[in-house]
Amino acid sequence: MRSIGRAAGIVVAAAAFASAPPAAAAGRTHQVAIKALSYEPPALAVKRGDVVVWTNQDPFPHTVTAPGVFDSGSIAAGKSWRYKVKQAGTHPYVCTLHSNMKGTLQIE
Amino acid sequence: MNRFVTTIASGLCLAAASALAQAPSDAQIAAIVVTANQVDIDAGKLAESKASNAEVKAFGKQMVTDHSGVNKQAVALVTKLKVTPEENATSKALKAGGADNVKSLEKLSGAAFDRAYVDHEVVYHQQVLDAVDKTLIPSAQNAELKSLLVAVRPAFVAHLEHAKSLQASLAKKS
Repeated sequence: MRSIGRAAGIVVAAAAFASAPPAAAAGRTHQVAIKALSYEPPALAVKRGDVVVWTNQDPFPHTVTAPGVFDSGSIAAGKSWRYKVKQAGTHPYVCTLHSNMKGTLQIE
Repeated sequence: MNRFVTTIASGLCLAAASALAQAPSDAQIAAIVVTANQVDIDAGKLAESKASNAEVKAFGKQMVTDHSGVNKQAVALVTKLKVTPEENATSKALKAGGADNVKSLEKLSGAAFDRAYVDHEVVYHQQVLDAVDKTLIPSAQNAELKSLLVAVRPAFVAHLEHAKSLQASLAKKS
């Protein structure tokens, strides 16, 4: 009986986990590719505590810069930059080296 | 328009004209791409050491970094594809125009150097962009070579806009 009770408990816990909306889970990691001078996806909605990783797939450096909020500095070709999001709001960002590159990070 | 700008423009017009007669092969496109990047690397190195305006110096440094990156990728691709870049009238004209540009810039200094370098960068990137759009991308046969050209095209657009904004800010100072 004890084992059945334990199994039932696991089922209940699993059901509770499955029913929770994925966005509610804090600390998710999101990927943004930088390729052909674009941020993919260009707009991303995340929650405070999540991590965003930008990976530069172009053959030259880029930056991920939202003035006054976050700034990656130069991300070399093939390298990544991780940012744990803190400040809620909609933050447009650019590459300071290539002004035609634009992205948006929406932080709840 | 000064003499060296005219030279480079005529070199690229030649690319467009020759495309009408006969589209360049992938081997010729490879030589044009590598030369076009190298020409801008050489001018950028000169600007890195000779420019007096800090923003012009930084722009020159970025041209060296970006175009070296593109060339590294282009060389890796043609090596993989076993394509040997083939010199042609366009790549030769680009090389000659680039050497002419460096020679003219070496005689200048201070604000005159900055202006001449940036003026040339504006014209050069516009002409390279035209060649990429009208000749190189439409003529490329290999899908990976075509993709590389499409992927780096926005860099030329960004460089052109950057050079134009520097040109406008230098004009205000003079």
